[in-house]
Amino acid sequence: MVDLRRFLIRRLITFIPTLIGATLLVYFVAAVVPGNPAKLWAGGEKASAEVVQRIIEEYKLDEPWYVQYYYFMKMLLTGKAISPVTHTNVWAEVLDRFKTVTLPLTMLSFMFIILIGIPLGIISAIKKDTVVDMILRIFALTGISMPIFWLAYLLIAALTGKGLVTLAGFPMPAYSITGIPLIDGLLKGDFEYLSQLLKRLWLPSLLLSYAGIGVLVRLVRNSFLDAYSSDFVEFMLARGFPRRRIYIHVLRNALAPIVTVLGLQFGGLLAGAVITETIFGLPGMGSYMIRAINNFDYLSLMAGVLYVAIIFMVVNLVVDILYAIIDPRVRY
Amino acid sequence: MKANRCRNPIIVVDDLYVNFYTYAGVVKAIDGVSFCIERGETYCLVGETGCGKSVTSRALTRLILPPGKIERGRILYYPEPGKVVDIMKLSEEELRMIRGDEITYIFQDPGTALDPLYTIGYQISETMLVHGYINKIRKGVSRAIQLLKETLIPDPEQRIKSYPHELSGGMKQRAVIATSLANRPRLIIADEPTTALDATVQAQIMELLRNLKKKRGLTILLITHNMGLVAEMCDRVGVMYAGQLVEEAPTEELFRNPLHPYTRALLRAVPNPLRRIEKLESIPGTVPNLIYPPAGCRFHPRCAHVMDTCKRQKPELTRIGNKHYVSCWLYSRR
Ligand SMILES: Nc1ncnc2c1ncn2[C@@H]1O[C@H](COP(=O)(O)OP(=O)(O)O)[C@@H](O)[C@H]1O
Ligand SMILES: [Mg+2]
Repeated sequence: MVDLRRFLIRRLITFIPTLIGATLLVYFVAAVVPGNPAKLWAGGEKASAEVVQRIIEEYKLDEPWYVQYYYFMKMLLTGKAISPVTHTNVWAEVLDRFKTVTLPLTMLSFMFIILIGIPLGIISAIKKDTVVDMILRIFALTGISMPIFWLAYLLIAALTGKGLVTLAGFPMPAYSITGIPLIDGLLKGDFEYLSQLLKRLWLPSLLLSYAGIGVLVRLVRNSFLDAYSSDFVEFMLARGFPRRRIYIHVLRNALAPIVTVLGLQFGGLLAGAVITETIFGLPGMGSYMIRAINNFDYLSLMAGVLYVAIIFMVVNLVVDILYAIIDPRVRY
Repeated sequence: MKANRCRNPIIVVDDLYVNFYTYAGVVKAIDGVSFCIERGETYCLVGETGCGKSVTSRALTRLILPPGKIERGRILYYPEPGKVVDIMKLSEEELRMIRGDEITYIFQDPGTALDPLYTIGYQISETMLVHGYINKIRKGVSRAIQLLKETLIPDPEQRIKSYPHELSGGMKQRAVIATSLANRPRLIIADEPTTALDATVQAQIMELLRNLKKKRGLTILLITHNMGLVAEMCDRVGVMYAGQLVEEAPTEELFRNPLHPYTRALLRAVPNPLRRIEKLESIPGTVPNLIYPPAGCRFHPRCAHVMDTCKRQKPELTRIGNKHYVSCWLYSRR
């Protein structure tokens, strides 16, 4: 337990440079955009010089980049950052959009990846070199290589007429317990709301998860086969273990790389959400960040990136802790 | 049936052929092996690496994984005198019930034989569970402790909670032996059980096996290429070369009067426990490729006494003396 605490502290300290790096990168990419952001923020060509001047002072746009960056970060981290474009607190909107849309979207996708990717990978391994295996491998490869928007428009065209998907608006429950509609719906047992939510989210989630499913099927197949070739499997056969029991041991031994990739996949989902939300008109973090880019609203963009980076790092921290649960040989 | 040279056999193997279908070609790993093991004895299989000892021993319960296949042969298992089970006719499930229960294995490398993610106690209990002796892992605990005691592992109450990586090689092999004793073993197949261990541990493990055999009335098939162990442990010895059984004799007889040129070479290549030998010789040549094995006697390319017949025709295993069999044209009257 002491080991775990030391490990956590050590890992949390490494978060700091990572977060600085990620936000600095976004800052630079956004700041090198040609044009005068103050003028844009003030309303474009016809903005009054007075307003432009006020914006320059307020956001320290005449200062050198490091002062500006420091100032931005300070505003963000103290929670006081006001977007120069929307004039609202950036965190309020980032959190709200994340909770209501992006979180349920990515959680559903993550569930699809696990619930579809792992079983299909195992089947592919057990049926190695059969027709079933071949079909699954083609399915996986398609997922990895197919552009998400192409498939999305294809499926939208095929399914919208049948009432299986909705594409506009976003259903909200009439109550709020945790503030996360998906969880609130579950807590209340409000199945009517949940079915509305699912109708809105199942297709984008599934599409978002397809690439991840593809990656996972291949990975699970290969690491399962790898673990299956271990000597202990032969010794289990020699001790008369039934197949199913052996598969459980093999799966647990194959799990370490799978969990690692699942952690990385979660980051991939957050990145993919940008495209998915745009295609399906979902008012989530992804579309928020796209809008921020279009409006040169790089304070909002930095807030979004900072948030995604933190989530990503926390998820991978959880992965590292899971390692020790899976494998007793792992020490922190 | 040519193989039944035993009065009260526990296992009889008759004319066994095993092939491996690899990309390089068909490996004819076992080529007409016949032997039997007397109930209660320790039978040894010896021979250079790659001559088919492991494959033969695994074939006894049809534990041959793809790309391997038992081509033909009969394997009869006698759980009790007068009761016979035809191993070749059993279903997968019936075989499974025999493996790990009545016929158990101990493999060469204890470091990789156990699942690294589960405790010793769990894995011993699991061996009982899959054979229906207990219905919950938890219920195997006391028996697991008792088994570790039986295999002389110190502090068994703590050790059942250990993971394999927390035990030394010798302790791991003792734990493996404990799994092989967990149910009601009659025949234990120990495939080079001490090759991966250092010398002092080797002696202790052998001592343990000898005592367990006596106490539990077991039959042991010991595979080794250590002639010292053979002299110490075995009642009878089968010498294998390139997938064939070339000679079989009671241990003393084999050491005193080896007949097959390969057996002689083998005994010259290792310290002979019965004779003082000034210098060790290596056997000239290498084990042949079993995809294209030499025709006739598989040993003929390396044999100093090779004759014309040897290159054309496979010699049959023939009785030379009391319980002494050899397959070599030098001793056959044609
Ligand atoms: N999985 C396999 N694939 C191909 N050939 C194999 C396989 N297992 C064993 N063999 C072949 O069978 C022969 C006998 O092997 P083995 O019984 O392991 O020898 P040993 O006497 O050292 O135990 C060897 O020539 C080896 O090449
Ligand atoms: Mg071997």
